[in-house]
Amino acid sequence: MNPVSTIKAIPGHVSRTSVIARHAFTQLVRMKVFYFLAFFAVILIASNFFNLPQHEGPESAGVNILRSIKSWSLGAMTLFSVVLSIVATALLLPKDVEDRTLYTILAKPVPRLDYLAGKLLGVLLLVFVSLALMDILMVGILQLRTNMVLTDQMAMAEARGWPAADIALLKAEILAQGPTASLQGAVFSVFLRSSIIASMALLISTFSSSTLFTTIISFLIYFIGHFQADARAAYLSGEAGTSDGILARGVTLLVSLVLPDFQLFNVIDSVIEGQVMPLFIVGKLTLIGLFYAIFYILASWFIFAEKEF
Amino acid sequence: MFLPRMTEIPPAVEISHLIKDFKTSFKRQPLRAVDDVSIRIMPGEVYGLIGPNGSGKSTTMKALLGLVAPTAGKCAIFGKDSMKVDSRNEVGFLPENPYFYKHLSGEETLKFYGKLCGIKGAKLRDRVKQLLELVDLSGASHRRIGGYSKGMLQRIGLAQALIQEPKLVILDEPTAGVDPVGSREIRDLIFKLREQGITVFLCSHLLEQVQEVCDHVGIIFKGKMIREGKLDDLIAIEDQTELILKDASPELVAEIAALVGKHAGAELISTGKPRTTLERLFLRETLKQESNN
Amino acid sequence: MTQGKKYGVLVLAILAAGGLRLPFERSLTNDLQAANLLPRKLEMRTGEKIGQTFSAVSLGGLRTLIATLLNLRAFSFFSEQKWVDVEDTFDVIVDLAPRTRYYWDTGSWHQAYNAASYYLYESEIPPLRRKLAWRESILKGQAFLERGIRNNPDDPKLYEGLGVLLSDSNKIAAFSSPNEAYEKSYEAFMAAVETGNARGYAKRAALYSLARVPGREMDALALANEIRKENPRLPPTVLGLLYTLNYHEDPAQDVLTLADSIFPNRKIAYEILGNQWMRTRDYFPVDGIARVMPLLEKELGVSEEDSVLKVKLLSPMNPDEGR
Repeated sequence: MNPVSTIKAIPGHVSRTSVIARHAFTQLVRMKVFYFLAFFAVILIASNFFNLPQHEGPESAGVNILRSIKSWSLGAMTLFSVVLSIVATALLLPKDVEDRTLYTILAKPVPRLDYLAGKLLGVLLLVFVSLALMDILMVGILQLRTNMVLTDQMAMAEARGWPAADIALLKAEILAQGPTASLQGAVFSVFLRSSIIASMALLISTFSSSTLFTTIISFLIYFIGHFQADARAAYLSGEAGTSDGILARGVTLLVSLVLPDFQLFNVIDSVIEGQVMPLFIVGKLTLIGLFYAIFYILASWFIFAEKEF
Repeated sequence: MFLPRMTEIPPAVEISHLIKDFKTSFKRQPLRAVDDVSIRIMPGEVYGLIGPNGSGKSTTMKALLGLVAPTAGKCAIFGKDSMKVDSRNEVGFLPENPYFYKHLSGEETLKFYGKLCGIKGAKLRDRVKQLLELVDLSGASHRRIGGYSKGMLQRIGLAQALIQEPKLVILDEPTAGVDPVGSREIRDLIFKLREQGITVFLCSHLLEQVQEVCDHVGIIFKGKMIREGKLDDLIAIEDQTELILKDASPELVAEIAALVGKHAGAELISTGKPRTTLERLFLRETLKQESNN
Repeated sequence: MTQGKKYGVLVLAILAAGGLRLPFERSLTNDLQAANLLPRKLEMRTGEKIGQTFSAVSLGGLRTLIATLLNLRAFSFFSEQKWVDVEDTFDVIVDLAPRTRYYWDTGSWHQAYNAASYYLYESEIPPLRRKLAWRESILKGQAFLERGIRNNPDDPKLYEGLGVLLSDSNKIAAFSSPNEAYEKSYEAFMAAVETGNARGYAKRAALYSLARVPGREMDALALANEIRKENPRLPPTVLGLLYTLNYHEDPAQDVLTLADSIFPNRKIAYEILGNQWMRTRDYFPVDGIARVMPLLEKELGVSEEDSVLKVKLLSPMNPDEGR
């Protein structure tokens, strides 16, 4: 018999996870990580107002500044999201253990899976909100600047008496460097990558002994993960080749099975350069991101479930 | 076995033959922190677990809360296995030297823990207000926890433990490091809980405090439970008999003394007020244990 | 479960999950390469330094930013006329941003135009070696542009840039065979046209190059007629070439009738053909101009002393002359 008291209702996983997520979000915000954002905004706006010295013929004038705005913005997003997802995730768990706040949380009816998922979602929520703010800023500036470039270039083309077909080509080319749907796909890819990194760091932090260890290992995996695709290609193409040693084959197989493929996210650079990112690619990347995030959360839970404090 | 019988109310706390080993380092003998400890606390009781530092008090409590897994034995709260999440619906816990999220205010802290227990909206607001008044922190409710004193931390910790109106409250060294005034406030709070019929399980190495508030006591030493029972029984001196007389004249006392003198073996030790203290009991029991080993 | 067993299960789970996602990641990589969103492995490895490839791959998301910064550095090297540094910097830049035309364009331009002219006119190297350095520089610019084209086969502007470089009158002496250079230039312009995104000028430029390849006059004429059909308002150079190419096909025909069929009037014919005659450094064909010019001059009242045919012409092969 379990007498139910008047004020409680047993909350579901979703609502409890979201309480922990919102709390982790507040915690990170109050750690002043948002100063990072302000810093970013200043750089971005600065890159908009100064025309960097470079070579520009009258026909390419301005298109470079558009690419530069995108490079700065997505570069800052990359740095911010990778550093934040690793450091914040590596920090949150040990901090709770060290401060013994974890005792008070786990002494409430909170399943450990909810706790882990909440912490991870809190980090991701912060990354998402930050990226969204940066994205808005980037799109705003890019739109302004694209309009300026377009006006200048159209005037130039008309002054030179270009045929209509050539003007249309020029216009399309400038617009392709402006705020496109593919650019949004790239920003979303930054977020997806960040969710893979954060969930991976979460798994590492469940068995690592220190924040520093988690951080270093996560960064290492992040960098080596960029070469997973090469290891995979080497392994898969090595089937016929007899020159590959067994050891080399084993290593390439191991690397491709254990490490996430971060090279996939180099699409971000291609999009900055003006390539089009089809929707189905975004969809497939999302699937990959979800697969990793869910797998790593479950694996973290597996380790964390019987951990003693 | 401790399966609750249908006719019986399950005990608030049921720890049976709990053993907990910790691995120390490689290939060394594991450290036995808790050795075959059994505790049963019925609803409404205030139980004090006393023992020196490192005797296994905290480990016992953590096992009861599912924070550590028993090597052997079982723990249950109101009949629910401690390793299951739902056993924690009816329990509030104040850890030793609690720290809370420094970035939250007192009020936000309580709201956070309340939401974890599924309390929402107006109910949560009312409950938080009520608890802040109870622990006398209404004035500091909007200050960040980072700026709280030790005593305030202990009180907000207690409020946090009570947020979902649990029927069992577990307090680990509730007055450690708190000044005498703060200590008295916490003691008064425990009295209030007892009045409300809430079961309290506390551990402390401050014996006076335990003697003041607890009606059941267990003495744990080097991981073993060495004495347990009702406080009144424990501090009774078994080979002595107490006559408590009202309005007895000195002549009557002298007469009784003379009467005692006539019986061989019997002896009148004193005619004052015969009372031992928990402290003396504790020292006696632990010394006995030492010499046995 | 003991700690050890738990980690064992975890490792197995990670390997199993890896096996599950491997085919998916592989197919996604193929999709990305097909959509030009990831470089193909073969391209990446042709002659590039491994260190550069390493940085390019691992800088995911930061590559174009670093390229932007290096571009600034390249600009200061350019201002200081440190051409080797400019070259090295652009090698890294294009590795980081292989699909940005601007970098290929600019990198090639620095070598083929700026560095080349610096070596020829401004450097302190001995005169004998100047021309060698000039030539090497131009060829480097050509090679760089060709590399850019391999990385961006669908970009018309890079083809156009190559076409322009290979038909540049000031550069033509750098190429071992001018005829071959003009032929390659024609091919480059036509490749630009084939991308479907070339500006209207590309096809005419292809004609200008082809017309200068001896032995390809018939093809050039066909191309000129095609251009004429597409566009009734033709620039002077096309008109001039229409004349010389037609004459080349049938030298026996009446030159005035031919001129009348091409030019709006004889005065314009005189001006255009006169110019073409004097542009010796551009290697334009002059077939039939010497025959029609006296007739036109006579009709327009130009004295024999002032005849275009008597103007002293520049020698075509020497880049130093005339400056």
